[in-house]
Amino acid sequence: MHIYDVCVIGSGAAGGVMAKELCEGGAEVIMLEAGEEVPPARFLSHKWPYELPYRGLRDEKQAPFYPKDISAIRYQDTDSGIGVDRVRVLGGRTLHWNAVTLRYAPRDFRERTLAGIEEDWPLSYQELAPWYEHIEQTIGVCGQDDHLEILPAGKHYLPPLPWRCSEHVLARVGKSMGIPVIPVRKAVLTLPYDQRPPCHYCGHCMDGCDVSSIFTTPDCVLPKARATGRFTLRQNAVAREILTDSSGRAQAVSFIDRITRSEEQVRARVFAVCCATIESARLLLNSKSPQHPDGLGNSNGVVGHYLHGHIGGGVSVYLDELASTKPVNQDGATDHVYVPRYNQLSGKRDYAGGWGIQVNFESYMFPDQAQHLRGYGAPFKAEVRRLQPGYLFLGTFCKAVSARENYVAVDPHQTDAYGIPIPVIHYRFGENDRALWRDHNASLQQLASRLKGTVFSSLDNGPGGFASHEVGTVRMGKDPQTSALNGFCQAHEVKNLFVTDGSSFTTSSEKNPTLTIMALSARAADYIKQQRRLNAL
Amino acid sequence: MKRRQALKIVTLGALAEAASQSVAAHGLASGYAWTPGDHHLAFFSEDENRMIDELMEMIIPADDHSPGAHAAQVSLFADLMVSTSDVAEQQRWRRGLEAMQEEVSRSSTAQALAKAAANESHPETELERFFVVLKRMTVDGYYTSEIGIHQDLNYQGNAYLSEFPGCEHEAHH
Repeated sequence: MHIYDVCVIGSGAAGGVMAKELCEGGAEVIMLEAGEEVPPARFLSHKWPYELPYRGLRDEKQAPFYPKDISAIRYQDTDSGIGVDRVRVLGGRTLHWNAVTLRYAPRDFRERTLAGIEEDWPLSYQELAPWYEHIEQTIGVCGQDDHLEILPAGKHYLPPLPWRCSEHVLARVGKSMGIPVIPVRKAVLTLPYDQRPPCHYCGHCMDGCDVSSIFTTPDCVLPKARATGRFTLRQNAVAREILTDSSGRAQAVSFIDRITRSEEQVRARVFAVCCATIESARLLLNSKSPQHPDGLGNSNGVVGHYLHGHIGGGVSVYLDELASTKPVNQDGATDHVYVPRYNQLSGKRDYAGGWGIQVNFESYMFPDQAQHLRGYGAPFKAEVRRLQPGYLFLGTFCKAVSARENYVAVDPHQTDAYGIPIPVIHYRFGENDRALWRDHNASLQQLASRLKGTVFSSLDNGPGGFASHEVGTVRMGKDPQTSALNGFCQAHEVKNLFVTDGSSFTTSSEKNPTLTIMALSARAADYIKQQRRLNAL
Repeated sequence: MKRRQALKIVTLGALAEAASQSVAAHGLASGYAWTPGDHHLAFFSEDENRMIDELMEMIIPADDHSPGAHAAQVSLFADLMVSTSDVAEQQRWRRGLEAMQEEVSRSSTAQALAKAAANESHPETELERFFVVLKRMTVDGYYTSEIGIHQDLNYQGNAYLSEFPGCEHEAHH
């Protein structure tokens, strides 16, 4: 059987970067992806609702990214409002994202030292900074350096997105309250870059970008891997388990071809698990052997634990000063501004962490206020119409604390369509989460009130999670007794096994995780290249 | 013809052409996109559809700005959605329809709707719960229709722009 240098499992942000970096470094790479390619020609991004069978209300636009046969899951013992993302497609979440790309701040790697909770990461911001820079230049990020300690910047940005009227109003009111509003940093092109065209401002980022102006792995990094002549892709390949040799080293992946339903194996010298937080833990837990009876690299029982992610809510404000104005095309590239964490700027808190606010990342087409306004008839209809131009949406992303008692397990008695034990989610909010939520709630209500307008809020429903930002289940750490990976995303117990997606996060900040995932993956790829040269893997 | 009007027509024509090309490229059957014109009732009876149509037009009526739920054929959209929903949802509609029919026969459609809507925030009776369901469906159907999107809200987006015009109003800054 052919032996590849590296087998990358998963084609999303982590896997795409890993494959590109390794192929360009001379390695022969095979990538397994459980989903399949959905090329731009199949996107329904620009379809009007009335051109879709159910007006888009049954997620017809995104259904191709979420094949049901490989997304079975069970929620057990979870707080209400908790859900994990089950996207399974070539490109993973990069096909269905808003592309907000924020660096973690130095303090975000040091929660134990600075806040006395959780653990410090086994690497520092300074060690990751060159890889942030490398990724930002690879993917193309618009924005600017705002000289904020809480949100470090890179050196190379494409011009920021122009602001809408509602965003200027937010910045004006925010300034009066000491709340900063900055141009969003996101992997959306505002100029031609890397042979890709700039954004055409249709607002359909989350439905699939038909011209590759947003970063996706199939459009941006997999072609670079392919161009080396050293890249092999197997899509519709559902990984069942990683097999080990008698010494406990990873040796092969056993997978099922979704089309033929046959079981196959692929052998490699190094394995990079990039399946995202739920699936990576599931794969390791399903990889049991005499050498690894509790799952691969899991003799300390950490794998699957410390599941967490962003918690948050949404507030819509229909601004008085914009209501009744003439409708204009506001779609843009979804969010154009960002509110970085601000609760550290004033006062002392009885909890750790903070929140950031993403702004206007939902469509301008459907009038959400019609779901909330009471009454009916001509006054109702006129009020929906009057409010619509004033729409401003604030979506909050709060830090959640990583806790051992929150976890994903596998259930050997419940299997998916391919006979693979499914993941089972256990999650409860902790005290810090609730304290942060209460303070965030009060702050958002104060901000909404100062903005002056008609307000509809989901905050009263309590916190929800994880905004597709789940992390932590195969975490890095300094102590091999309480973590699964070292600072290079390498398994403590299995030297030729790496896990570089969100599951590797030691802790989560309030910032979107994808840029950090890509930086970690690029850094791990560089380490793999070095170690291969030293013959140390 | 004013220049803006001419541009608008050209744009719409181009969009329509692009849409039909796109349908062809996707290999979609012409019946893929739902059009109310050829819809056959699958859940509502003819009488129920007439009542729902009348109620929906009262919820979102035609006014001097745009046509309402009747013109947008929202009741037919509702029939499609309910007929393809799970049994629990269908039973909810069945119970609601019965409560509404009873109330209508006792008074009038307008009075029945007013009674149903009286406790919208905290519905307690079958009739009150049905108002919430019916209004939600009316909103979903109307504001995803051509009439709702283009004529009523005058939505300007879903376009290809070469640049995004930001806000230039000093007052907002």
